[in-house]
Amino acid sequence: MDFAAMQSTLYDHIMEARRREAADLLGEAIAGAGYEATLLSLLEPTLAMLGERWSSNALSLAQGFVAGKVAEDFLAMGAPVPGSPDARETVSREPLAGPARIAVIANAEDDYHAMGRSLVSTFLRLRGWQVEDMGCDVLAGDLVDRAVSVGACVVGISAMMLTTARNVLKVRAEIDARGLAGKLFLAVGGAVFRMRPELVTELGGDGTAETALDAPALFESFRLRSAGTGAASQAESAAP
Amino acid sequence: MERVGAVLGGTAPDRRPFTLTLSLYGSRLLGRSAADCFADPALYAAGQRAVTELCQPDVLFGPFALALEAEAFGSTLERFRDAPPVVRKPALKSTAGIDSLRIPDPATAPGLRFLVDSVAAVVADQGGTRPVAAPLAAPCDLPIMLAGMDGWLETLMFDPALAARWTALAVEHFVALASAYFAAGAAFVVTPVMLVNPSLVNPSLVDRLLLPILREAFSRLPGPVVFHHGGNRIAGILPLVADLPNVAGFVIDERDPFEAARAALGPGPLLLGNLSGPQCALRGAEDQERRVASILSDRKNDPRFIFATSGADVPWETDPRTLERLRRLLEAPS
Repeated sequence: MDFAAMQSTLYDHIMEARRREAADLLGEAIAGAGYEATLLSLLEPTLAMLGERWSSNALSLAQGFVAGKVAEDFLAMGAPVPGSPDARETVSREPLAGPARIAVIANAEDDYHAMGRSLVSTFLRLRGWQVEDMGCDVLAGDLVDRAVSVGACVVGISAMMLTTARNVLKVRAEIDARGLAGKLFLAVGGAVFRMRPELVTELGGDGTAETALDAPALFESFRLRSAGTGAASQAESAAP
Repeated sequence: MERVGAVLGGTAPDRRPFTLTLSLYGSRLLGRSAADCFADPALYAAGQRAVTELCQPDVLFGPFALALEAEAFGSTLERFRDAPPVVRKPALKSTAGIDSLRIPDPATAPGLRFLVDSVAAVVADQGGTRPVAAPLAAPCDLPIMLAGMDGWLETLMFDPALAARWTALAVEHFVALASAYFAAGAAFVVTPVMLVNPSLVNPSLVDRLLLPILREAFSRLPGPVVFHHGGNRIAGILPLVADLPNVAGFVIDERDPFEAARAALGPGPLLLGNLSGPQCALRGAEDQERRVASILSDRKNDPRFIFATSGADVPWETDPRTLERLRRLLEAPS
């Protein structure tokens, strides 16, 4: 199977919002080479190319959105988890050192701008994360309660505007009050953090990612730090 | 009024006309909150009277409060003392809920009635001395305020039947509100168009998905529209939008070069810009004056240019002395 040529075709489909054609191509690849090979040799390299363009502002938000939808379609092509038809088996990867890849994500209290959160959720799941997506307008206490109950090592908060981003401080306070700092990391994202990166630390975030495609690297660095086994990633260090 | 008319007609005015987007600033000059002024047409008009006394702009604006349109459909707003309202919660969780929406009547829906009555009040107050521009949301952007960006993008790109229903709703509202504005005395409407920004939607999709919406909506207007850059650079996409119907002019971003914009548009349309309005509170007066002089010099031979601030409203916290200095510079003979 000529994955290099297929990567180019898939890239073009995503750039021109041809979602159905992209799904057909991924389906053909799965039929010919299997799910795991399609992920590792077709989808992930294509998303990496798109991520580079996105980081250099050469990808539109719409194209990033299409990339997320194509990834979502691919996830739906995976085998259902027995007894849980909504969930899909993740691809077998190297054995994990440290805590499981479990994250809780939400939009901050009073924030209803869901797009970034949805994309992050998709790209995390593609990288084998179990994502508890709590949706919009989530209170800090509820968020940390859920993180504790599912054993998450990262909570991700999205906020579009300054007024709602300020509610990230409440999540920081909850984490600190429960003695979870250093075990449960706080990732922040959304338009306001791209425009004013100094807010990441001002509002108590442990780090941010330049784009949704960069989020898995950030979350992985937090997971490794949560286990005390890793160093900050490039994505994390991008935040001041 | 004659000065702007001369530029529209391509003849030489006594001096270059100018305008600063000071829709919000009226509240500052009155010592009232923006929330108050964006709720009471008489107060809004009083604010624009104060703006006129301070700056003598050649064009005044109706309320730059696009979120009020979303509120008329059921979205929840947040109001501020020193900023225009914003959408806090869209009316719908998904675009599939379109059946629950009704197109609001500008004559009776409170937020829309405020917008239209404010334009009428400013027009009456100014007594025909200067044109009044009425801002309204672009029909391709309105669904974002009603159902969220992700919902609208997904519908627009992957569900043509549902997208057509949303387009019909947005266009009907756009035409109804614009018509009410013109009936109230607006000289033109001004429409920030955000989704055509190449960082949001790439040009091939703009051409395929968004231009048909704008073309239909603009063609049904009973008056001219000014295409506003919406806070993003637009020079690169001007060739795509240059031929939209009823467009009298384009407000370009501060980062857009006039020369490229004029080359893309040809000699006909008005060009407006491009001193950043939102930066007025942050930059020193000398810096601003240098920028103004540079813009005026750049456009000295362009008969269809109006000096204007680009981007959103001049911020509430801007020092009035800065605006007075700008006025003196802009009123100096060409």
